[in-house]
Amino acid sequence: MALLGQPASGDDAILGVRPARVLRPSTLDEAEEVVRQSAGQGLRLAFVGGGTELELGEPPAALDAVLSTRGLARVVEYAPLDQIVIAEAGLTLGALQATLRERGQMLALDPPWADRATLGGIVATNASGPRRARYGSVRDLIIGVTLVRADGTRARGGGKVVKNVAGFDLPKLMVGSLGSLGLIASVTFRLHPLPEAASTVLFSRAAPDLLRRVVQAMRREQLEPSAVAALALGADFELGVRFEGFEAGVRSQRDRLLGLSGALEARAEPLDDAAAGAFWARHASVREAPATFRAKLATLPTEVPRAASEAWPALREALGAPRAAFYPTLGLGFVAGDSGATDALAGAVTRARAALGPQGGRLVVHAAPPEVRARVPVWGAEPPARALFARVKAALDPQQRLSPGRVAGGV
Amino acid sequence: MSHPSAVSPVAPTPARPVSAWVLGQLASIVGPEHVLHDAAALRTYASDALATFAVEPGVVVLPASTREVVEVVRTARAADLPLVPRGSGTGLSGGALPVPGCILLGFSRMNRILEVDLDNGFMRVEPGVINLEVSKQLAPAGYYYAPDPSSQSVCTIGGNLAENSGGAHCLKYGFTANHVLAARLVTEDGAVVDLGSAVPDAPGFDLLGVLVGSEGLLGVVTEVTLRILRKPEATRTFFATFPSTTEAGTCVSEIIASGIVPAAIEMMDRLAIVAAKAATGLDWPEVGAALLMDVDGPVAEAEHTSRSAVELARRTGALEVRVPRDEDERLLMWKGRKSAFAAVGRISPNYIVQDGVIPRTAIADVLGEIARLSAQEGLRVANVFHAGDGNLHPLVLFDAKAPGEEQRAEALAGEILRICLRHGGSITGEHGVGADKAPYMAEMFGEPDLDTMSRVRCAFSPEQRFNPGKVFPTPRLCGDRPGVYRPHPAELAGLAERV
Repeated sequence: MALLGQPASGDDAILGVRPARVLRPSTLDEAEEVVRQSAGQGLRLAFVGGGTELELGEPPAALDAVLSTRGLARVVEYAPLDQIVIAEAGLTLGALQATLRERGQMLALDPPWADRATLGGIVATNASGPRRARYGSVRDLIIGVTLVRADGTRARGGGKVVKNVAGFDLPKLMVGSLGSLGLIASVTFRLHPLPEAASTVLFSRAAPDLLRRVVQAMRREQLEPSAVAALALGADFELGVRFEGFEAGVRSQRDRLLGLSGALEARAEPLDDAAAGAFWARHASVREAPATFRAKLATLPTEVPRAASEAWPALREALGAPRAAFYPTLGLGFVAGDSGATDALAGAVTRARAALGPQGGRLVVHAAPPEVRARVPVWGAEPPARALFARVKAALDPQQRLSPGRVAGGV
Repeated sequence: MSHPSAVSPVAPTPARPVSAWVLGQLASIVGPEHVLHDAAALRTYASDALATFAVEPGVVVLPASTREVVEVVRTARAADLPLVPRGSGTGLSGGALPVPGCILLGFSRMNRILEVDLDNGFMRVEPGVINLEVSKQLAPAGYYYAPDPSSQSVCTIGGNLAENSGGAHCLKYGFTANHVLAARLVTEDGAVVDLGSAVPDAPGFDLLGVLVGSEGLLGVVTEVTLRILRKPEATRTFFATFPSTTEAGTCVSEIIASGIVPAAIEMMDRLAIVAAKAATGLDWPEVGAALLMDVDGPVAEAEHTSRSAVELARRTGALEVRVPRDEDERLLMWKGRKSAFAAVGRISPNYIVQDGVIPRTAIADVLGEIARLSAQEGLRVANVFHAGDGNLHPLVLFDAKAPGEEQRAEALAGEILRICLRHGGSITGEHGVGADKAPYMAEMFGEPDLDTMSRVRCAFSPEQRFNPGKVFPTPRLCGDRPGVYRPHPAELAGLAERV
């Protein structure tokens, strides 16, 4: 069945490009076979996991069939004492975390839509959340990959030990590759212990400049938050700072941050578990609630106030139900809302880019209606390494059959 | 497998001189005083820290800028010569081994710190900057650069990037790959390409991730943006002794299982302890095994984890737990650990440093297997390693004057890698594949894996001009190249045979 697949429906389209068939392999062997047969027939493929970030990137220039990874959802190997897990690409992050939680561990990634987002999709889109402040992003946690190349060759990179410098780092090459270099069939991650305790401090009303000052004060004081998120409330923000670790360390860091609020001339309060849960639920809804427009803002951490006071207002005015979350230690922000008038939104994206650009910042459109996409390039400026991207693509997918054109630079 | 103590480094393959035209071009690019081709210079650059491989380069060039590197790359191409980039030559895998007639690029003149941005946590440097210099520059402001290979007082950032260097503290903080934010690369065609950026999430393929650890095969890096970190508020260290490596291994597992992420956790066996004592005069007892551990973080966190770890050490059979009285004593303990490789020279005329990785839980089994091999071969093996991440550094002791012993030591060291692979590990955790371990790549990876890596190399460097003969077990051509057969530079170096 997998080899033939089923006829596709409108729901299987990627950015309006509709495939003829959907292939649903249920084992890695089948996946390899399906890709090899597709190669034989010259089919242009795209790989789809939970479908949570399908709007990221340009539409594929050609598409005959979609390969769904949802049948590839096994935990291949879990070694709690070695703190590594090997899992097939179609497993959702939520399902993996449930397995790991039983042994007091986690994969320290918290991108949106954990219950739907698959491991392969998270790697392919380089998805991340606020926990990145402490544990890094996908590239810092992936240690191995099995991929199926465009020609159906199954290849492996990295390994299942955290420390390993043998051969080129193919796992990192897959991060953010949007399935255009090969099918990510299984991935190996390093794991972390679940923290014993967590505590969130809330600055309930923070002007953009306070975001920077809080970050600097924490760094000066050598505090080590595990997540810092600022949620927009009009022109201001509510800023949540989470500490995780052993009880003693968490309590002490929380109290020390509260002690800094006077010098920062800001009001900070410790949140009890319920209130902390509510804050992080509000954060999740900024990232996860339905929206027709989404964008990621990336900037140097010191430029977050500028992004928050110039780029964000420009977008806010052009969106219905606008919302934003900034991660000020990282220099990242996520904006979402309902796109209204095309002109206004395209203009807002351009203005936001102009505000971010001089300091090396960027705006990447993660979702937008076709009319807006037609007006503003989703990736922004041409990447400086575009020619090299194209050569790497050609080396691994010489016939340009895997989501051609989807990656930055039209690669 | 490296022989830092090899009695008589092999006689180098003599230089194949480069043409007068090339010398003239290079002199016009970097100035004649920065083009070295006298016999003494060529001999100096014939080996890195793995002295059993020695090949004299055709010429050594010391460029001072990206622009000069571009011109040198263009010259190499025009003359069809291989290019071998080299930092300080501290590598233990022959990663900077010249090939006959090559242009060897040295970076001693590209050692400027270009930009320091504490608030944004990055620093831009040239590749010839010494690893420890980076942290020294940052220390007054309370910042540091995390990767700390044992050679950090000598090795360069460019070499670290090429090898994806680790160190004792990568268990918690990661490797070079986790601390390089961007790099400027000169490719084979002379193009200058910026990969990555200080701003997070540069769109497109993560070619920076591939570049780090690519052992100089993809191009020449002329600028590196490093992630820099605020120093942790507190570091707590302890040194614990155990009857044997079994109890020490259990202790490591228990500490990790308790949820502690130590900054570093190092193990030494009896022989390594004896050697370290002989070299440093430390008053360590001669016991079966010792652990040296750092935990760090905010004071309350470090205090707590340190107390828990000490308790776990006692519970798992520690004979003694020592906590340093002050920073001086702490540094002395670390000196004992960091000098362990060289210290082995005190107890054996020669030794091979091996570098392999195993899952942490296999430590006891693997050490047992190594001990059996050691007894079987009648060769002593000292073990000093990064226990937290299963990165073994067995030191195979031998006497080169005893006929056949060096070969048996080589074979034993190779067998250790196979043990690592059988336990699901890796042939190298931080020293790199280089020229030395290239044959073992085919035991760790299958043909499709190597072919995929080779395609990536060909995308960057279709002519394979950079650092030929490293990483890949057999020479491979990029695509089909009909025409007259041309021997691969690695074949000429005697490193590989055409299969």
